[in-house]
Amino acid sequence: MVPRLFKEIHWPMFFVILILTGIGIASIYSATFRMQENYAVKQLGWAGIAVFVFFVTVWVGYRPFFNMSYLLYGISIVLLILVLIMGEVRSGASRWIDVGPFALQPSELAKISTIIVLADLFAGRPIFFGQKRILLLASILVLIPCVLVLKQPDLGSALVFIPMFLAIIFLWGVRIRYLVIFFIGVIASMPFAWHFLKPYQQKRILVFLDPSIDPIGVSYTAIQSKIAVGSGQIWGKGWLQGTQTHLDFVPEHHTDFIFSVIGEEFGFLGCLLLVLLFALLITYAFQIMQNTTDLRARLLATGISVILFFQVAVNIGMTIGLAPITGIPLPLVSYGGSSLVMTFFGLGLLESIYKERSIF
Amino acid sequence: MKSTTRFNFLLYGMYLCLLIVSAGLFRTQVINGSDYREASERNRIRLIRREAPRGNIYDRNGLPVATNRPALYAYIIPEDFDPKDIPELSPLLGLTEWDIRQRISKARGASFTPVLLKSDLSLDTAMQIEEKRPKFSGVFIQVKAIRFYPQHETAAHVVGYIGKMTKEEYEKLDHSVYGYDSWIGRSGIERLYDQMLRGEDGGVQLEVNARGVPINVLSEKDVTVGHDLYISIDANFESKVRPLLAGQKGAILVGDIKTGGLLTAISTPGFDPNVFVTPEQKKERLDVIGSKEKPLLNRGFNGLYPPGSVFKLLTAIAGLETGVITPHTTFTCRGFFKLNRKSRPYKCWYKGGHGRVDFYRALERSCNVYFYNVGRLLGEKRLAEYARKFGFGSPVDLSFPNVSGVVPDQEWKKKAVHDQWYTGDTISFAIGQGYLLVSPLQILQMVTTIATDGRVSKPLLIFDKNEPSKTELGIHPETFKALKQGMLQVVQSDYGTGQLARVDFEKLAGKTGTAQAPPGLPHAWMGAFFPYEDPKIAIVVFVERGKSGGIAAANMVKEVVRIWNEAYGTAVI
Repeated sequence: MVPRLFKEIHWPMFFVILILTGIGIASIYSATFRMQENYAVKQLGWAGIAVFVFFVTVWVGYRPFFNMSYLLYGISIVLLILVLIMGEVRSGASRWIDVGPFALQPSELAKISTIIVLADLFAGRPIFFGQKRILLLASILVLIPCVLVLKQPDLGSALVFIPMFLAIIFLWGVRIRYLVIFFIGVIASMPFAWHFLKPYQQKRILVFLDPSIDPIGVSYTAIQSKIAVGSGQIWGKGWLQGTQTHLDFVPEHHTDFIFSVIGEEFGFLGCLLLVLLFALLITYAFQIMQNTTDLRARLLATGISVILFFQVAVNIGMTIGLAPITGIPLPLVSYGGSSLVMTFFGLGLLESIYKERSIF
Repeated sequence: MKSTTRFNFLLYGMYLCLLIVSAGLFRTQVINGSDYREASERNRIRLIRREAPRGNIYDRNGLPVATNRPALYAYIIPEDFDPKDIPELSPLLGLTEWDIRQRISKARGASFTPVLLKSDLSLDTAMQIEEKRPKFSGVFIQVKAIRFYPQHETAAHVVGYIGKMTKEEYEKLDHSVYGYDSWIGRSGIERLYDQMLRGEDGGVQLEVNARGVPINVLSEKDVTVGHDLYISIDANFESKVRPLLAGQKGAILVGDIKTGGLLTAISTPGFDPNVFVTPEQKKERLDVIGSKEKPLLNRGFNGLYPPGSVFKLLTAIAGLETGVITPHTTFTCRGFFKLNRKSRPYKCWYKGGHGRVDFYRALERSCNVYFYNVGRLLGEKRLAEYARKFGFGSPVDLSFPNVSGVVPDQEWKKKAVHDQWYTGDTISFAIGQGYLLVSPLQILQMVTTIATDGRVSKPLLIFDKNEPSKTELGIHPETFKALKQGMLQVVQSDYGTGQLARVDFEKLAGKTGTAQAPPGLPHAWMGAFFPYEDPKIAIVVFVERGKSGGIAAANMVKEVVRIWNEAYGTAVI
């Protein structure tokens, strides 16, 4: 069984994933080695679990997950409701459910299960007629977890659903005019969504537009993280040599702002390497998509790679002031068990699509 | 082919975005990199948070009961500080050198964050530090507001106090409102209206030079001062009434009948809320928290006791309303009451027996046997129904936490005691004993209801300009008339149990209670309203283990009325 499991694995992709995770652990260590809690070792443990989950997913294959797509989706909706009712509150938001020694973040599961449901839904439908009905149904399926996550409130994770949905319907073959209508819809709903946001979220977006309005809060973070990244210059200050992030100028520097540590210590070249590695990962994902004949698998791979891409782009963007601060982690790199394990699960699905690409 | 186009469009779109991000990185790290490097090396930006002053709390006459006093704090930014200054700094602050080192090293890892060296400095010390400038770089003095409760014990249970947030609380709250070191309302009004009282913190981003001296203000956010609040308590009045309970445990509540506002809510032993906010009073703070006398318990709102004979008022209402008795119904008291031939005797407090008594006389002399009879005729179901109607068994609607108490009935007894209901339980219930538990505040509510013929104003603690909301209970006016007449006799008749409360300038009506609560002496109660003709205030006096309602409590009611009359009354003595 074991030899068969390791046959036909896309090893380059697996190694890129491992390198990224390794960079993450090294940066987490650098960000937190002065703190009491050993986050790097914890993340290493999570990485172990994540690799295990990855291979289990490859072994099981992606197909069974389609068979239980609605079950997974249902579970994640229930968990999202539970987290609103009894979730642990941190920094004014309830995003975690305490499960024994660790905290589960149901929004991570919700992302992947929504992709699976959407891929399953669209792959079985012809694109030539009845698009409206199917799109309406799909929008509802996306909107439910999206609104629940927004209610936590977790703006960043909720935003991820939008590009994921658009990319899946785009590749499925949605009529361009519907896509345009969707875009207009999203833009038109923004003023309403604005009232839905908590004051501090509104503040973050306003600060993005005009950093001078909140000098003691978010904009301080924004400026400090920019200084941190910028001060890395071309070569970086070297591992464990960063000063900005270590001195607590940047909050959450082992989770959402881990990139400011990387920018400061590894410089522009290090950052470029990181971006290239992510670009490589996305390229591999698209290669895998090209090689499969199964439309479901293709749409699944689209969703997974778009989520990955979106989080990378927005996370790095927010540390250098290109995007508002919304609380999106850097996949594979930021500290956080739920995020790491679910990312590996998604990549495991990709891997299994590669492995089972040509069953005639 | 179309799908391949879309495929490529998506892939290259992503590449393009990543390219834009890379260009952004190039701009930040390569083009502007040296500026940022310089900024990070000099670490020249300091963030100093300024806490918003908390809103004041005033009593009904505008006397401050919670306010802020300026206090001087010495802070240090470890990175800007030269350890050579420690020997000179330590005697100034009255801290040992080791203490100072300890504080500085605690902040390792965040050495640009100001660390508190000493709070509540004397002005002298602060001056001396300032005079020695440019020595002591990195040390700065900040004026901060410390909460101050100028009335000390008075109204302390209502006003409450504030405390430093714990780390766990901070984790749970919105960081843009609550700073790491913020204070938060811990009890009373301070806690209930925390959102209103706290303003919005401000702060400055300072640019400093290499020695840590500010050279430029980068940006500044003004603090928003918190809202002030007015409470219905009259602090002057309360401070005059409070000594009545000196040395005893108990509660005195006085309600303004016209507005519903509580004039005073005393609970003894009290505490000085200043011990919770004054940095140097740690010992006193621990004493208050650990005391066996439970000074933090607001006995008036949250104490639960058997009401004893005061509750006969309710039994009387239930009896009259259901038609079980009329004011002319008589029962004969031989000093005890038997359910049947074989039952044990239930005693009246007056061994000789009151003889044949009607309703008024029964109230006046607080005859147990009369109300045993009424209770038996009513049954526990109807008694419980009326008790709940008058607010027992649930918290008083005060927008301030208070206990619900216990109104027993069959169901309750089965659940709580796992036993069936006996007629004997009904008999005890009727005279306010047995399983019944009430708070003094609930008694105040009942007395107010009677005094206003059931058109009771919602009790208030916060001053409200709006017309008080009134509720109608649907009780016949004749019932209240009879009850008031009875309560008048309690005080004014020479046989009345509450005659010690009599004042010579106006008529007072009330009802005493001596509640058995073994082990120990009985609790003393009296509920009253004044003046009889046009009630203005309702009074409840409760003395834990006060022995006798007719003596201990009635005497205090008399004093309360006298003090109130001096402050508010028009009657000439």
